Amino acid sequence: MHSKMLRNFVVRLVSLSLLSLGLAQASGAAMIGTQQVIQSESRDARITRVETFLARQDVASQLVKFGVDPLAVQSRVGNMTDAELLAMEGGLDKHLAGGDAIAVIGIVFLVLIILELMGVTDIFKAT
Amino acid sequence: MKTFDTSQLVGWSRRAAQASALFIFWILTGCVAMPPSVSNYGPAPSPLELVDTPFYSQQQFQCGPAALMTLLTASGVETTLDDVAAQVFLPARQGSLQTEILAASRAAERVPYVLAPGLASITAELAAGRPVLVLQNLGVSWAPRWHYAVVVGADADSDQITLRSGTDERRVMRTPVFLRTWERSDFWAMTTLRPGELPADPDRSRYIEAVAGLEQTGHHLAARGAWLAGLSQWPDDAALLFGLANAQYALGNFSEAEALYLAMLRKDDASLIARNNLAMTLVAQGRNSEALAQIDTALNQADGSPLLEELLDTQTIILRTPKGISN
Repeated sequence: MHSKMLRNFVVRLVSLSLLSLGLAQASGAAMIGTQQVIQSESRDARITRVETFLARQDVASQLVKFGVDPLAVQSRVGNMTDAELLAMEGGLDKHLAGGDAIAVIGIVFLVLIILELMGVTDIFKAT
Repeated sequence: MKTFDTSQLVGWSRRAAQASALFIFWILTGCVAMPPSVSNYGPAPSPLELVDTPFYSQQQFQCGPAALMTLLTASGVETTLDDVAAQVFLPARQGSLQTEILAASRAAERVPYVLAPGLASITAELAAGRPVLVLQNLGVSWAPRWHYAVVVGADADSDQITLRSGTDERRVMRTPVFLRTWERSDFWAMTTLRPGELPADPDRSRYIEAVAGLEQTGHHLAARGAWLAGLSQWPDDAALLFGLANAQYALGNFSEAEALYLAMLRKDDASLIARNNLAMTLVAQGRNSEALAQIDTALNQADGSPLLEELLDTQTIILRTPKGISN
């Protein structure tokens, strides 16, 4: 709750400073995009733009952290929609990555269950 | 007092063993019967197989790049596996995110169309000549092995699905097994449409969502072709007209954009979005006083509208733009 208030404050602060810099207008802010119209929730478009701006920075730095070549990052985030950026913000690791990797924890768990059923371990007993 | 003999003990332990075997099987498979809504092959002809679909064998953890490469090449995009991998592979995650598969399709000027869940969606696309990229979990929910593959064939008689998958150029799976692996991704499937191509089973909101994503990421030429195709399917649809007008504006075709916004306003005089963008289109042509008149009309209609601030922004821009100078 507290962090949400802080976040709102930061967004509004950055929003103001961006607006005063004229950045929002430079990006063609006054044209209304088609996406904005089909979204069911009507939110303050200026706040949304700033949130998207922040989300894009965040997703870009996460991609670098996960090993993406910094030169490729701009094009990668540049092709994500606002909704996608907002969904990935702060939690790229929560989205599943398809790559045939078998989670080690899964195998360990399987072994543990077999051991448990064989009566070798007693890990899953509620304490 | 009751006594037990050995045969009873043997019976109990056998039943206990059977029960635990059943329990393990249940855990391993998470087995549920597929509802007909997803397992139905649909009206497409059968058997179907797009034998000409190219194949790219995957390197370790790179089923995402390989599957997308297959899809893009089949869709007429000239690219390389390295380029695709540079756009969708996430090294530290040893895999690719669904979002990035969609984003990379946009980068290739294709419409990433996410299909409705169910086998019939896949067979309809196959019948239209387009292979379908799917996300499968080849493991189980608690020990997942997420895998991207491309469906190229379906055969209702033998109940089999054919895929370009991993290092297998032609992998054949029994359909019930395929459906179980696909169900775990909530039946995630997509195909890439060339701008101008419509999906085999056009779903208006899915299509608009996909094309609006192209617009938002700056692929206006592709978006224009896609909006035009959409209008051939859903003539006079306001969202599609608006999308086409926005694409024309972004491409600098202001008189075409103007005509489209005016057409929207003839249908709905109170469309604030059309009037706002019409004003922007007029100011782009140096017609500031006409633009101001339009935005004043809009402001008079905007009581309590969430678009009020946008309209005020537009008014400010018009007032700040020197007359006769277009941006």
